[in-house]
Amino acid sequence: MIRFLSLPLRLALLCCGALLLLLPGCIDPYMPDGLSGPPNYLVVDGFLNSQGVTSIKLSRTYAIDARTAPPVEGRATVAIEQEAGPRIPLQEAPAGTYTSTSLVLNPARKYRLHILTQDGKQYASSYVAVKNTPPIDSVTWKTSADGLDIQVNTHDETNNTQYYRWDYDETWEIIPLLTPLLEYVNNTFRPITTPYPRICWGNQNSTAIDLAKTTNLSRDIISKHSLRSYPATSERLRHTYSILVRQYAQTQDEYRYWEMLKKNTENIGTLFDPLPSQITGNVRCLTDESELAMGYIGAYSVQQKRIFIRRAQLPNDWRVSTGYDICIPPDTVKYEDVRGTFNYKLNIPLYEIPGKGYLATGLDCVDCRLRGTSVKPSFWP
Amino acid sequence: MKPLYTVAFLLFLSLCALTGHGQQPDKLVTGDFVRVPFEQFASQLEAQTASRIYFDPAVVDSLLVTLQVQQQPLRSVLQQALQNTALRFAIDADNHVFITKGTAIDTGLMPGFFQQATSDNTMATRPDEEQTTTQAEGRSRYVSAAEYKVYELGTGGADGGKVTLAGHIRDQKSGEPVIGATIYSESPSIGTSTDQFGYYSLTLPTGRYDLKVRGLGIKNTKRQVILRGNAKLEIEVEEDITPLKEVVIEAEKDKNVSGMQMGLDKLDIKTMRQVPTAFGETDILRVVLTLPGVKSVGESSTGLNVRGGATDQNLILFNDATIYNPAHLFGFFSAFNPDILQTVELYKSAIPAKYGGRLSSVLEITTREGNKKKFSGSGGIGPLTSRLTLEGPIVKDRSAFIISGRSSYSDWLLRRLNNSSFRNSSAAFYDVTAHISHKIDDKNSVYATGYLSTDRFRLASDTTYRYLNQTASLKWRHNFNNQFYGVLTGAYSHYGYDITSEQNEVNASRLQYAINQTSVRADFSYFPNSRHTIDFGVSSQLYHIAPGSLTPLGAESLITPDVLQKEQAVESALYFSDRIDINQRLSVSLGLRYSLFNALGPSDVYRYASNDSRTENSIIDTVRYASGKVLATYHGPEYRVSARYSLTDNSSVKASYNRTRQYIHQLSNTASVSPTDIWKLSDYNIRPQVGDQYSIGYYRNLKSNTIEASVETYYKTLYDFVDYKSGATLILNHHIETDIVNARGKAYGVEVLVKKLTGKINGWVSYTYSRSLVQVNAGTPSDQINGGNYYPSNFDKPHDFTLIGNYRFSRRFSSSLNFTYSTGRPITLPLAKYYVGNSMRVYYSDRNAYRVPDYLRADLALNIEGSHKVKKLAHSSWTIGVYNLTGRRNPYSIYFKSENGQIKGYKLSIFGQPIPTVTYNFKF
Repeated sequence: MIRFLSLPLRLALLCCGALLLLLPGCIDPYMPDGLSGPPNYLVVDGFLNSQGVTSIKLSRTYAIDARTAPPVEGRATVAIEQEAGPRIPLQEAPAGTYTSTSLVLNPARKYRLHILTQDGKQYASSYVAVKNTPPIDSVTWKTSADGLDIQVNTHDETNNTQYYRWDYDETWEIIPLLTPLLEYVNNTFRPITTPYPRICWGNQNSTAIDLAKTTNLSRDIISKHSLRSYPATSERLRHTYSILVRQYAQTQDEYRYWEMLKKNTENIGTLFDPLPSQITGNVRCLTDESELAMGYIGAYSVQQKRIFIRRAQLPNDWRVSTGYDICIPPDTVKYEDVRGTFNYKLNIPLYEIPGKGYLATGLDCVDCRLRGTSVKPSFWP
Repeated sequence: MKPLYTVAFLLFLSLCALTGHGQQPDKLVTGDFVRVPFEQFASQLEAQTASRIYFDPAVVDSLLVTLQVQQQPLRSVLQQALQNTALRFAIDADNHVFITKGTAIDTGLMPGFFQQATSDNTMATRPDEEQTTTQAEGRSRYVSAAEYKVYELGTGGADGGKVTLAGHIRDQKSGEPVIGATIYSESPSIGTSTDQFGYYSLTLPTGRYDLKVRGLGIKNTKRQVILRGNAKLEIEVEEDITPLKEVVIEAEKDKNVSGMQMGLDKLDIKTMRQVPTAFGETDILRVVLTLPGVKSVGESSTGLNVRGGATDQNLILFNDATIYNPAHLFGFFSAFNPDILQTVELYKSAIPAKYGGRLSSVLEITTREGNKKKFSGSGGIGPLTSRLTLEGPIVKDRSAFIISGRSSYSDWLLRRLNNSSFRNSSAAFYDVTAHISHKIDDKNSVYATGYLSTDRFRLASDTTYRYLNQTASLKWRHNFNNQFYGVLTGAYSHYGYDITSEQNEVNASRLQYAINQTSVRADFSYFPNSRHTIDFGVSSQLYHIAPGSLTPLGAESLITPDVLQKEQAVESALYFSDRIDINQRLSVSLGLRYSLFNALGPSDVYRYASNDSRTENSIIDTVRYASGKVLATYHGPEYRVSARYSLTDNSSVKASYNRTRQYIHQLSNTASVSPTDIWKLSDYNIRPQVGDQYSIGYYRNLKSNTIEASVETYYKTLYDFVDYKSGATLILNHHIETDIVNARGKAYGVEVLVKKLTGKINGWVSYTYSRSLVQVNAGTPSDQINGGNYYPSNFDKPHDFTLIGNYRFSRRFSSSLNFTYSTGRPITLPLAKYYVGNSMRVYYSDRNAYRVPDYLRADLALNIEGSHKVKKLAHSSWTIGVYNLTGRRNPYSIYFKSENGQIKGYKLSIFGQPIPTVTYNFKF
């Protein structure tokens, strides 16, 4: 889909500037009265893992113009409840994150999440059946002129799953092009004592909601469902790239929840904005009906699969970006400018070019820890 | 003056009847009058000449006569005495002198006047011949002469039997027909109004009548007829030349109470001219928006919401051709050049059976026919646009042309600006209208209209929007006889848009949409007798829609072409209506329209599982229809019933019920109408919309018809109109039915309107309380909106107050004030944000649960006319105005943007401060 700059913005440009000959102030910041006291609803993020550790994050809705991280909901009493059955408490660590021990939920029973918040309100998700997630058959990838496309394949022999959701974690190697031989300490140059790491690992969790269903198929098979794609130039494909795909079986109800959430919040600011709608989920406040809660708590197992893609496996003619293109070529700092330049710690000397000065670059060009971690992930080969 | 006329006239008639016709020799007058009061002067003249002088003492009370005469005839004495006054005199054959103000009465009789009693085989007099002979005596005299003549018309009608009088009412100066003028007799109370050709047909018992003529933009007049058989009477009327006079309102004088039609608002171009606008240019849609019951979502939106209906529920007809996008530049201007317009009629309820295809209203825009007598032109120069109109006869009195163009020069302004993003912007539009009318003979006339309007704008350089309306219509009218005529109309409409994006050559693309409509209709009107007016006809229209295509632009573009399959359909209808005047007090109009819609192949139609929400995944089958195969048929009756009951001479009650069906839907997910909106035909998966409206109103005229008041209330139900699922995407959607839902709506309201008809201060005040609610509770819970409860529509603005006031300082200076207040429109707000699934999500309110701030605006305009000399080379006028006098920043749009993890709200006001304008208009 082509994207155009949002219509209101363009109109504003047109009318304020052009037609009315630069009349000031057509666009004013505006916070409607309804937003002055934003609702402070409980947000429940997570799921009941039917074969493993359940981790639930509690937070609160907050003002749309806030810059801070969401306020976490600490010191709540959280438990998984089996319908007409036992209660399994969750422990809080760190604040706002509640974790269970490794559990196996009975697929013949229904479960819910029960929350007693610090302020004495009780919340519970609706009782949901346990769904067993079929294993991921494979995570495959293919290349084309457009780039790389990563796909997932799975199936359920029993035709019970039908509704699927995925998320993923990506990790990739970051190797700076420039390595400093010097460092500037106390107004003098000396050979570098602690070299910058040669390699780091970038990491990102998926933010998109990825869904598919097989209800229109005669068999419960997901074939080549596209999860992630990259243009042929992407810097993440420069060295070694890895993706961990997690698969969740969904009920029809939960599937619809995620589908709505996706439509509602993933497209903002285009000419073709869809109409927003109100969606909450399946968590209700038991003590106060007017109090809403966000989030959907389902019960299912997780299946995951990791793959690696190395640069050598990709077509040779791909002009993959280094990610450090702006660092080349480095600047030359003349002798008389050395103090002024290198006292500023974001400028890094590389080495001396005798008679001219020092080659220099920015900290981001040499310290890959600004883009990832230098601790090698345990799964990295 | 009127009582005098009447007295004088009656006297005159009785004297004529009593005395013989012999001419007596003039007696001479001698006298020396110094500051003698006129009454005394008159009695001396009477004594000397044995004549009788008739006058209204009130008219002459301040007149003192100073005159010295020796042996002079009466005529010359009176001439001298009255030469510097406004008084005129006339002397008849029996030496009766009639003194009148302004215009002398005509003492002559029509040839054949006295034959009434003696001869039965007189041929019908050709009144138009009579008129031309008197024309030499000057315009004002001419009209009154026609008024005081008694026309004996027709022959052979049985005594007291019903005969038909028909003809046209035309403008005396230009020969153009006067549309919607009423012609009626007060006793017995029988009347009709002219149709779009200026044609009328009245069925009356034989006898003598005073026929009064009232109409938009014309001076009130009357004709006295003695009707003896079926006859024709062509009436020429004078244009009301002072453009600042509130003519419209005057025209509706009796109509408000006595007319059959309810929920009809009629505007003529002169009224529209008075309403101040943002860019100084008369804008019909802006004026229509000031009428009670008509709203729009935003300031510069020309999308009309009539009585709680959606913007797509208005049939906009421009000389019988449908217009799909009536706006220029996102709605800053309406797409109709004001110079060529004659009248605009908006039917809000009691929609005539002749019209169909839209639920809420019919907006009928009629152009002028052009001057049939002489070549003339007019134009205007405004801050953003200029316009020019030329018109004239092709064959004098038989055919005329009018051509009118308008163009913007905002591009030129943009280039003057010091900002590169503006210099890269462009906004231009133009429109051209041409109309030709030709009278082949007395029974046949043809009319042709062509219209083209196009817009092109590029905002900050990368995306160019272009859209185009093209229409053509051809009409042939045939009079079978006085009581029966028919019109055959063919029309073609095209609307299309084209958006090109060239930001990045890899993504360069073109998005296109087009709709073509070809229609043929035959309409007949039959006036069998004074109690019945029968209209019937048949129509058929063929639609072709190319619903969207995205194609790459340039060799570098990597866009893959995406073309939606075309849509075709035929919509046909038959209608019949009869207006029955049951008695003096009660009239009813019964109408039935039956419409039939066939969606046609070639098409691939998706079938969906009936128990599931329609999504791409619930498609169970695809059925292929060959070209011309019917893939869906919808049909149904549309009832159009209305009644009027007169309570007293100046008050009445009217009620109406109508059902309408609509087979084409506008899809728009922006709150206001935008050029990217598309029109979609009903098909296998999308049902037609059906609406019912009940309305009742009370109408009363006060202070001898100078103040007109009405209260109308209505209740409307709408079925199966289009609403959108949460998260609907409308553009390039191959299965649009998965994103739209059939909604139910209800709307109700009360409209109060008070119009002051004449005088220095005139105008109207209206207040509307109305609600417009939508319910989507069909289908699965995920398809429902707001839990399946009724929620306010996008244009639900309960309180609405409008004042249009004009104050005339003099014939040359007048001022207009426009004041508008309305409740802010509903909006869906993001209330809070939260994190779920690794990403920020937004919690929205219920759909349309909040409202934007109230809307308030006042505008002021001053009109300055050039001198009113008739014989000037060119007439000119200036309009100076201030739009949004208070500078209030009324929100046009409220939107939210995500900036660095913060979601910020902004209010966009289009007219953020007072906007002065100056426009120069000319006419030659």
